[in-house]
Amino acid sequence: MASERYSFSLTTFSPSGKLVQIEYALAAVAAGAPSVGIKASNGIVLATENKHKSILYEEHSVFKVEMITKHIGMVYSGMGPDYRLLVKRARKMAQQYQLVYNEPIPTAQLVQRVAMVMQEYTQSGGVRPFGVSLLICGWDEGKPYLFQCDPSGAYFAWKATAMGKNFINGKTFLEKRYSEDLELDDAVHTAILTLKEGFEGQMTADNIEIGICDAEGFRRLDPSSVKDYLANIP
Amino acid sequence: MSILAYNGGAIIAMKGKNCVAIASDKRFGIQAQTLSCNFDKIFEMGPHLYIALPGLATDTQTVQQKLKFRLNLYELRENRRIHPKAFASMVSNLLYERRFGPFFVEPVIAGLDPKTFEPFVCNLDLIGCPNIPEDFVVGGTCSEQLYGMCEALWKPDLLPDELFETISQALLNAVDRDAMSGWGARVYIIEKDKIVVKELKTRMD
Amino acid sequence: MSSVVDPFNKFSYMESGSQRQHFSPYADNGGSVVAIAGEDYAIIAADTRLSSGFSIYTREQSKLFQLSEKTILGCSGCWCDTLTLTRVLDARMQMYYHEHQKLMETPAVAQMLSTMLYYKRFFPYYVSNILAGLDGEGKGCVYSYDPIGHCEKSYFRAGGSAGALLQPLLDNQIGFHNMEKVTVAPVPVEKALAILKDGFISAAERDIYTGDSILIKIITKDGIKDESFQLRKD
Repeated sequence: MASERYSFSLTTFSPSGKLVQIEYALAAVAAGAPSVGIKASNGIVLATENKHKSILYEEHSVFKVEMITKHIGMVYSGMGPDYRLLVKRARKMAQQYQLVYNEPIPTAQLVQRVAMVMQEYTQSGGVRPFGVSLLICGWDEGKPYLFQCDPSGAYFAWKATAMGKNFINGKTFLEKRYSEDLELDDAVHTAILTLKEGFEGQMTADNIEIGICDAEGFRRLDPSSVKDYLANIP
Repeated sequence: MSILAYNGGAIIAMKGKNCVAIASDKRFGIQAQTLSCNFDKIFEMGPHLYIALPGLATDTQTVQQKLKFRLNLYELRENRRIHPKAFASMVSNLLYERRFGPFFVEPVIAGLDPKTFEPFVCNLDLIGCPNIPEDFVVGGTCSEQLYGMCEALWKPDLLPDELFETISQALLNAVDRDAMSGWGARVYIIEKDKIVVKELKTRMD
Repeated sequence: MSSVVDPFNKFSYMESGSQRQHFSPYADNGGSVVAIAGEDYAIIAADTRLSSGFSIYTREQSKLFQLSEKTILGCSGCWCDTLTLTRVLDARMQMYYHEHQKLMETPAVAQMLSTMLYYKRFFPYYVSNILAGLDGEGKGCVYSYDPIGHCEKSYFRAGGSAGALLQPLLDNQIGFHNMEKVTVAPVPVEKALAILKDGFISAAERDIYTGDSILIKIITKDGIKDESFQLRKD
């Protein structure tokens, strides 16, 4: 019976060797709202679009940019509910690490462990892969880190990257704009410009979200500071 | 009598200037009967990290193996050496997991920070409560004698050879007043680019 | 017990029994004593803290008892036993004086103390005694005891609550144990005093039953000299 083939795991190899469920998950990500991450010399910036379908929406109530620990932050492209589960798991893993070793979790460790969770959801029974890609940024021992985590459980370290709708254009734009000795303020500017590529409608402090991470830790910018950055955008 | 004092043993760790030392006796016995004069209680956990596990000898070895297991996994997973503070926390965690059926060991940790080479000493009780002082820590069946010696002999900023003399005198004179410790001793002097292990001759009675 | 179950007393199955209040005839009031003997002197010192559990009765209780011109006893342990023992001891000294028309020599006092302690073999004085003085030839001597009268003559001894902390230090510094290339010789009185004070300072750091101050008595052929020295009071 054909349905038996899917009774253990939804993600079953197709005859050509592909896992189509994961490809569908990646398609869900590529259809999601764009997000951008840029590593600067003295910090990292995460930026994302947070458009509302109706003017009746209460803005600045549900966030896409989230803090995981004092020094690690996260954003996503794809499905919101899936993301919130991963945020919860990431926060828990970070606290567990702190409890065992009495030192903050290194960003690379957190990424590895979150990726492990995402991989589990490609091989377990009764579940589907996550419909999100994550950007995780962190600052440990004086160095900035930026990672992307995909539904397959694959993860990459970037200097700068874009995900979600229009990510190919976003990446091309970043390739042209990026330089190693970028300062954090310029990186925020560049991130906004990248989002602006293919942004439909007017960009305001109410429909984008920005998070930054440096030696002070991770924080989400409040709308008034986002507004200040937007003022410098042509 | 306490299970912690079933096999006997004595441990000290001391801070010096850019160095630490850790020392132990070598006796293994069952109550008053000595069975061996070459029983290790200090274990290497890294290039500048040592742990001593005085207490019930079977738990000394079991805890050493369990810690080595966790440490190996940590170092492979994170691809870096562990910080002594994080290691102490790991030991604390291992011991507290057995809160209501503890391992009968009271570990002493000595090491240098892998990056800054700052000295670190620490001891824990059998359920993992850590104590991280600025001077020295002791453990084993003659901890009272060791405290008396260390309080009198230790001073800040000892150089490696002075530290060796101080820790050795503290250990030897303390174990001589304890029937369950002694029968040989070993001292590790840990410096940034040198680790010296010295065997001490002791009274054998 | 009545066979009728009382419906209003839910504990009717319990027999009312007597409860025994245990009385302990002993208390541990702490305190430490150190004695060192040299060629022509003996010094004996005791801390002045009298305590019980976590409370301090007084910070200025002498635990040294002058038995004659040449003999001093230091006591620690159960304070009420100390009082009784020293009272009986004084009486026995008086009786000896009147019977023999001379003062008792230190070795004789030492022997008598042992006998007196053993006399109470099965209800002992719970006291750790150290006796210091000059013998018949004017040489310093120290005798130490267990509570049931075992007596040992030596040149230095620490006893009481911090005995275990102090004794190895004396072994090392006065007995020259574990020292190479030293000539073993009786220590001069100044050095003995310095080691004694250092020892008490160290003991007061770790033993809560030792502290406040110490009283020192230096016995020479010219008489007894008193000295006191402050310790930490917490």
